[in-house]
Amino acid sequence: MPDIAFVKAALPKSGTLVVPIAEGAAPAGLFAQADQEAGGALARALEAAGFKGRKGQATTLWALGGFTKVVAIGLGKEAELDAAAAEAAGGALVPALAQDREATVLADALAAPLAASLGLGALLRAWRFDRYRTREKEEDKPKLERLAIATADPNAAKQAFAPMRAVADGVFLTRELVSEPPNILHPIEFAERCKGLEKLGVEVEVMGLSALAKLGFGAMIGVAQGSQHEPRLVVMQWKGAPKGRRGAKPMAFIGKGVTFDTGGISIKPAGGMEDMKWDMAGAGTVVGLMAALAGRRAKCDVVGLVGLVENMPSGTAQRPGDVVKTYSGQTVEVINTDAEGRLVLADVIWYAQERFQPRCMIDLATLTGAIIIALGHEHAGLFSNDDELASRILAAGAAVGEKAWRMPLGDAYDKQIRSDIADMKNVGGRPGGSITAAQFIQRFVNTKDGPMPWAHLDIAGTAWSSKDQPTVPKGATAFGVRMLDRLVAEMGEA
Amino acid sequence: MLAIRFRKSAPEGGRAVLPLVAGAPLPEGWAASTAAAGFRAGEGEVLDLAPGPLLVGLGTPARLLDWEKAGVAAALALKGVEAVIEARGLGAAEAAAMAAGLALGAWRFEVYRKTPAEEAPPRAATLLVDDPAAARAAWREVEAAVKGCLAARGWVSEPANVLTTRDFVRRLRGLARHGIEVEVWGRKRLAREGYGALLAVGQGSASPPRLVTLRWKGRLEAPPVAFVGKGIVFDTGGLSIKGAQGMEAMRADMAGAAACAGAMLALARRNSPCPAVAVLAIAENATGAASYRPGDVLRTGSGRTVEVIDTDAEGRLVLADALHHAVSRLAPKAVVDLATLTGAIVTALGHHRAGLFGNDGALAAALAAAGEATGECLWPMPIGERHREDLRSDIADLRQCQAGRFLPDASHAAAFLEHFVGEVPWAHLDIAGVDTQDEAHALGPAGATGFGVRLLDRWVAMHHEEEDHHPVAGAKA
Repeated sequence: MPDIAFVKAALPKSGTLVVPIAEGAAPAGLFAQADQEAGGALARALEAAGFKGRKGQATTLWALGGFTKVVAIGLGKEAELDAAAAEAAGGALVPALAQDREATVLADALAAPLAASLGLGALLRAWRFDRYRTREKEEDKPKLERLAIATADPNAAKQAFAPMRAVADGVFLTRELVSEPPNILHPIEFAERCKGLEKLGVEVEVMGLSALAKLGFGAMIGVAQGSQHEPRLVVMQWKGAPKGRRGAKPMAFIGKGVTFDTGGISIKPAGGMEDMKWDMAGAGTVVGLMAALAGRRAKCDVVGLVGLVENMPSGTAQRPGDVVKTYSGQTVEVINTDAEGRLVLADVIWYAQERFQPRCMIDLATLTGAIIIALGHEHAGLFSNDDELASRILAAGAAVGEKAWRMPLGDAYDKQIRSDIADMKNVGGRPGGSITAAQFIQRFVNTKDGPMPWAHLDIAGTAWSSKDQPTVPKGATAFGVRMLDRLVAEMGEA
Repeated sequence: MLAIRFRKSAPEGGRAVLPLVAGAPLPEGWAASTAAAGFRAGEGEVLDLAPGPLLVGLGTPARLLDWEKAGVAAALALKGVEAVIEARGLGAAEAAAMAAGLALGAWRFEVYRKTPAEEAPPRAATLLVDDPAAARAAWREVEAAVKGCLAARGWVSEPANVLTTRDFVRRLRGLARHGIEVEVWGRKRLAREGYGALLAVGQGSASPPRLVTLRWKGRLEAPPVAFVGKGIVFDTGGLSIKGAQGMEAMRADMAGAAACAGAMLALARRNSPCPAVAVLAIAENATGAASYRPGDVLRTGSGRTVEVIDTDAEGRLVLADALHHAVSRLAPKAVVDLATLTGAIVTALGHHRAGLFGNDGALAAALAAAGEATGECLWPMPIGERHREDLRSDIADLRQCQAGRFLPDASHAAAFLEHFVGEVPWAHLDIAGVDTQDEAHALGPAGATGFGVRLLDRWVAMHHEEEDHHPVAGAKA
């Protein structure tokens, strides 16, 4: 990971230079100076190379004006230059600098917060997961160690960057958890890693099988019982509320953490099953979010709960046809053991309400294949019983480039999960498959004692990316960490 | 359609139907049994006290739609007898809405039954009202849309050996007697105009493709609204043939075209002032020696070329030519297409809402509102950048779809159609989940629903029937 430094706006004499340029903008500031010293060669070369300054456009020039390399990065239209555009530019420069150890970005034309956003974009894109590579050739490894961002006000940029850095660390923690293979990251190991948040000041509590059995987490235990790894419930509390607001209800985040999902007895086909290591991305996102909030010392109380299980077929596994009793007391007929995420969430969500009486509740889960068929990979599915909460989530997501799309709920869909033998069954058929999954979860949102604003994010299509995006390398995306960090900032800290 | 009468006093015979609002006093003499049966007059609740009255619950009715649904529930519950509905004390609009519901609920498709089914619905209904003349006038307003809806249900129900492309066209020509102009293009004309997508989809069938344009002049000096419908009279999937199970349902793959035609009929029957056109792309997607193939490249009427990936994604191909025809020849102020387009929309939204896509927020909001008002509910769905990127082809301007599992095919289809509408305000309704229902539902019995007819008719009534109501928006084509 490169070190991101903010330095005084001065033109280096040599080395690698990165120049962010808006669409159609004439050379200005330090870049104009560099171009002048090179006798106008830089601007001419960019024009010849067809560089227009379009968002994400990257053009590399070699050996001009005394520099080893000059990389021009498009910022897009000047009028639309916002944090997202600066982040995208920061992301776009990373692949262009794969073989450089150091580079200087001429960001003197950018306001300090935008210079910081550019640094954030670079950082987010530069992350990679190489723990299990033992023979990678030196030339294949990215080299970038230090990115110096030259800006008019380095102190202001540093200040703006500090909380971003904390959020990025949360993102990286999530990406790491999601990337870890399932033989390494089973529920017990996952819970151990959650303990790591204690050093940030998060209170972490881990409950094992006997505690869960005593509580009556019948649905979650049913999912876990086929695996040799015991289930874990991890409760994380960040108490950041300032004196005057202590005792206010916390916001609650709940994550599905199926560390590997074979489907259980309703076993999945072999093709693509390896992807099921990231069936814990909801939980991974909640853990990363807690790290982000604690890292930037968020000024409000937040609880995060993750239900960790492995869904395996075996002699002790749950069967289709089984009826389980959830912590809420409601019973569920298990029709398909591969619809296990909702069973885990049912118990954890009920517990979150009982214990914390949160002001609102948001759960994240790689819940259904149907949401990929509905929306694809650009939007997560958003279901909510509260229009205000839903629109705040949509807005927070749009602001950080983690987009959600509202999907419907309703009695007609709820009818699809009626059971002949229990209070409900765990699948409602193919039609509206993501909606009936959300209806199932909604049955565990307790509105008996007053409204309980709740939202469910189905991130099955967005937790993992098969291609590089400007600030997200392919693989684990950590979708949701930044969105919900923003949501907490706007709802809990404003 | 069942006969509807409005009278001041009850005729001889028939079953009394009592619509009841929640909390209203229960009918005298029946209070005890009603309470014993646990009847609470909730929405959709029905209690048959035969030989006494049939009670129909309304909950707390907020909209005329709730009265319609009560009419449907009554018609579904009554068997083979005339219904006498107690509507005295109700407004004319509520009474007419009940009548509409009775007609929608009593509809059956019985063309091919030698003896009528035992569970026959009522053949006639008398509504007892305070002011029959006012109720009749209100009924005339809503009757047209009901008749349009029932016509569409009939077409959708017809089996594909009867409703061939030619037969569908013959039936559409029958609309002329309502003042609708009907223009039909056959293969020669389609070839001359270069409508290669519609021709390709239809080329494997013995039943040739047709492009039908319906025109309703209206009275307003305004560009028309345009409806565009997918009319695949049977969809085998073509060479990318479908699994055998459930293929019989593919006789309904012309439900989009049927809905558009039904909406035109509704506008004509109530003499709507709004000029309207409908473009219906009619073909059979058959497997045969002449069928089009995966890998084929087609030249559409718009000039854009399309790489075929899956011959079972034929709807978007015929719509490409139909949409192009509508926007390039008919200068509409807005285009709404209806199609049983994708299985993906069923996975996404199930059988209770149709997918709503488009390029114009105001148009989408207006259609969604018309849908809520008529009980034909929509839900907005996205066309994202990724969906557009996914349609890049190595050999043609566009690929028709992607191949594989877990694909957002409804959004891909909408992103595909978007290329053929230009700048005109456009909405696309993917009605694959709502064109038929396996069980009786809030607006009718099991079978064809006629989904879209009443929605389109209502949308026109709400937004396009006043001279200056809506300025001509963006019709640059």
